Amino acid sequence: MTSGNVYVYAIVPAGTVLPADCAGVDDPPAVVRVVEEGPVAAVVSASPLKLRARRRDLIAHQELLTRLSEDGPVIPMRFGMVAPDEEAVRRQLSGSRATHLAVLHQLDGRVEVNVKVLTAPDALGALVEQDERVRGLREAARVRPGHEANLRLGEAVAAALAQRAAAAGRRVLDELSSLAHAVAAGPEVRGCELNASFLVGRDEYAVFRASAERLAAHWREHAELRVAGPLPCYSFVAAEGAPAPAEV
Amino acid sequence: MPTTTTYSDEALCPPRAGTLYDVLELILDRGMVIDVFLRVSLVGIEILKIDVRIVVASVDTYLRFAEACNRLDLERDSRSTTVPELLGGGAARKVGKRKVKNAAESVGDTVRKAVGGRGDDDQEDDERDDDMRDYDEDDESEEYEEQEEKTRPRRRTPSRSGGPARRSVRTR
Repeated sequence: MTSGNVYVYAIVPAGTVLPADCAGVDDPPAVVRVVEEGPVAAVVSASPLKLRARRRDLIAHQELLTRLSEDGPVIPMRFGMVAPDEEAVRRQLSGSRATHLAVLHQLDGRVEVNVKVLTAPDALGALVEQDERVRGLREAARVRPGHEANLRLGEAVAAALAQRAAAAGRRVLDELSSLAHAVAAGPEVRGCELNASFLVGRDEYAVFRASAERLAAHWREHAELRVAGPLPCYSFVAAEGAPAPAEV
Repeated sequence: MPTTTTYSDEALCPPRAGTLYDVLELILDRGMVIDVFLRVSLVGIEILKIDVRIVVASVDTYLRFAEACNRLDLERDSRSTTVPELLGGGAARKVGKRKVKNAAESVGDTVRKAVGGRGDDDQEDDERDDDMRDYDEDDESEEYEEQEEKTRPRRRTPSRSGGPARRSVRTR
């Protein structure tokens, strides 16, 4: 049973053909269709009566966008965007036609790659060797063991590891930025020292990825790098289809 | 081209395909928002954002670091720069790793719950969702739009636009 509302996945150029066997959110999966309005179109389905951020729905949203973006430019919607009816979708498409077209043009042939920088737990040995303060606190904890001393030592280690990862992350970010058309800071993620997304040409993706992996290996004693991609360009669209703002 | 995730410490392993884990915050927090459209019933989003990797700011973590640190035998092996040697042949390392893993697993369970468990288990799914809804109602800051239950008092906080103000974007 559906709510009568329309779940919107993406905005694409008119004439976009849906991938075979694509499925929408909900269980059983909603039938995905295209609503065309002039030169742009929206990829939509019926909205479930009870839409929640469930695993299968998040995956359906992500998979559909990923497959669509393999075939052409896509403006991905944030998960959970629901229009009251198809007419509202059409009004939005025609009202913001120019911006949609501009963003689609900007994203054409490009993918998003997300890079997260985390502390490297394996950096402990090197850290203790190199960090005088940590060495001092470690010595103090040995001479007078106890909860307090351990807490101070552990806190210093945690802070130093985070600092080390962040410093390495900034170097990585600088290097990777030179290979990307745009960089966007990612949402804050607990445990991540740095979270950034890069807009990369599909044909440049292999080079970008190889560089990211080389940097991950190079900095492994300072930071753990996690690279995810190619992704739909979530981070390079903004509210109401405006292009993501240029320059900080 | 499938979406893949690479881990620096598993560079030689084939990357996992189709995982949600590393892109969750992008799906929920990025992507275009259209103000005239609704964003419905995103229960438990704050919990979804809890990240399982390394929680640095906790006493438990500090004590774990201290323990691992105290186990290092620098005096015996002060020239060494490789971590496995510094950690004295694996025993200390194992303990540390196992603890980190356990912590990660338990938070992982929370996240799994928050995203509604496996998609094929509807009964359990709904029970979990109910739990999540309870959580959500306690959270005033939550973006919220209950559509399906008209009897419930409707409440909506101004939607986070996710727009330019919160973001720093550089374009070359």
